[in-house]
Amino acid sequence: MKKRLYLELENCIGCRSCLAACTQCGGHEERNRNYVYDVNPLVNRQTMPLMCLHCENPACARSCPAQAIQIHETGAVLSALVEKCIGCQNCTIACPYGIPKFDHEQNLMYKCDLCIDRTKDGISPMCASVCPSNTLQWLTDEEIDNKKKQFNLDNGKWVTSMPYLEGETNVKVNLPGILQGITKLF
Amino acid sequence: MQAKAAVNQKSGNTLNNAFASHFAKSMFLSVTALAILSFIGTRMFTHVDLNLYGYMVGTIVFIGGFFYRFIAWGERPPTKLILKKGLKLLLRKSTPKTSVEHLATYNFIWNRGIYRWTQHVLIGWGCILSCFVTFPLVFGWMYFTMDDNGHYNIIAMGMKVMTVPADGIIANLSYNALNITAVMVIAGVCMALYRRLKNMQARAEQKFLYDFMPLYMLLLVSITGLALTFMNIFLHGAGQPAMSLIHQWSVIITLIYLPFGKLAHIPFRPMSVLARNYREHYAEQGMKECKVCGDQFVSVEQSKDVVDVLCVNAIEFKAKEGHHLAEMCLPCRRKYRIAQFSGFPTHEVKVKEANQNAKG
Ligand code: HEM
Ligand code: SF4
Ligand code: SF4
Repeated sequence: MKKRLYLELENCIGCRSCLAACTQCGGHEERNRNYVYDVNPLVNRQTMPLMCLHCENPACARSCPAQAIQIHETGAVLSALVEKCIGCQNCTIACPYGIPKFDHEQNLMYKCDLCIDRTKDGISPMCASVCPSNTLQWLTDEEIDNKKKQFNLDNGKWVTSMPYLEGETNVKVNLPGILQGITKLF
Repeated sequence: MQAKAAVNQKSGNTLNNAFASHFAKSMFLSVTALAILSFIGTRMFTHVDLNLYGYMVGTIVFIGGFFYRFIAWGERPPTKLILKKGLKLLLRKSTPKTSVEHLATYNFIWNRGIYRWTQHVLIGWGCILSCFVTFPLVFGWMYFTMDDNGHYNIIAMGMKVMTVPADGIIANLSYNALNITAVMVIAGVCMALYRRLKNMQARAEQKFLYDFMPLYMLLLVSITGLALTFMNIFLHGAGQPAMSLIHQWSVIITLIYLPFGKLAHIPFRPMSVLARNYREHYAEQGMKECKVCGDQFVSVEQSKDVVDVLCVNAIEFKAKEGHHLAEMCLPCRRKYRIAQFSGFPTHEVKVKEANQNAKG
């Protein structure tokens, strides 16, 4: 059963477990590839995670002159192939969400690969496996559909894509509280 | 197709018009160049080593595959841009230094780990040195003659460049050059295989055809090459003809595979020098300021180029504010996305991005 990463952004409590977990994924070489932001840092404590959304038409891969960014058969957009990346940093400029990181010493781009060693076998990525607040979940499309029924939005807004995102993505993002008009934390 | 026709018209280049494609032209020029070089090198084909005939065919097939791949790849919009602008900047003062660091000493691989660096120096230099010895022999650009007095003459391009004692150091080094490089490659490939069995990232992503096949091929080439020497010295040549065929066959397969698999990085990698020149040159010309915070984060030229390349791919990321998303620095672009989710303009809060690096 194909599962996908599903984000309920406003659940985030800012513990940054996902960053720590990311460093521990096999082959991430102890460097995390995801982000957690304060939404309004001077006023309240609401945070939201941001990670690669694994675009269906990834700008990073389209802009890469070396074809170093491969798309896995699961749809995951992989980190740069170590022998191909020529260090031009086009991908960091192209990504609409500013996700790829660049290591100047190694002349190499690295980004979220959705823990491909795990997700290719259907195991959840590291970040989702540690998230204590159900912000990051690893769900089948059916489970995501059930959530949709549970929230019963009448404003037609559900799993967000446009206008919140720039294109269709393999990772699904949602803000059920905000979209329903139920203020949870902020 | 139209674009190509337009280019031809503009330059009015009759040579370009004479060929059906870039591919045909490049192929024709290379084979002609090889033939001429061999003709001169062998003093009008009087010194051709027919044992090496298979390599000649292999090389020509390889050149075909190579141009096919390289031209297809060079037609991709981002590749074309870097190639075009990078080649113009090839005369920058920093080019020699960058080339040595990127293509010969691999400083950046050192920064990825000493193990990986050692592995690559052994494989890479082992192969490059082997080619320096083999190809001139195959095409007759270099050969040896022996005088009566126990001295070898090394002849390059038909000219005597050196005369050395047949049992001296240089002579011994040249007889054994391919043995030494074979040992280097075998050691490097074993290191690579070991890493592929242990390293989690490698294990996650590797595919047999892409990652293991080239390693096994290099191993086969080196071991059969060494076996030839072994048979010559210890078995008085027994089994040599068969082994020689296996060796030739493995080299030819490796050459033909080269443009299509992982080893394709060998001809493509020099582009990293072009990319570095491109970044350095245009950074000096003028830096782009982030539309939100004003930080200079990339050259004006590259920012524009990336926007154009995405446009060719029918991708256009315009922010509501009217600028392109690529015109924001990375932290601002990330905060801008948070702002789209939350409805609060996070990117406009003048607070530096919190530390995003968890040290594992
Ligand atoms: C033009 C100069 C070259 C450059 C800049 C270059 C660059 C690289 C880089 C960056 C990697 C990834 C290394 C890592 O991060 O662990 C790599 C891997 C590799 N290179 Fe090269 N390379 C060059 C020439 C060669 C040559 C001549 C060979 C000989 C066949 C070669 C064979 C390999 C192999 C087999 C691997 C894969 C090792 C593995 O399985 O992990 N390279 N190269
Ligand atoms: S979110 Fe950015 S890094 Fe991830 S696939 Fe899309 S363009 Fe690439
Ligand atoms: S930095 Fe590497 S991965 Fe990114 S676009 Fe350039 S070559 Fe491709």
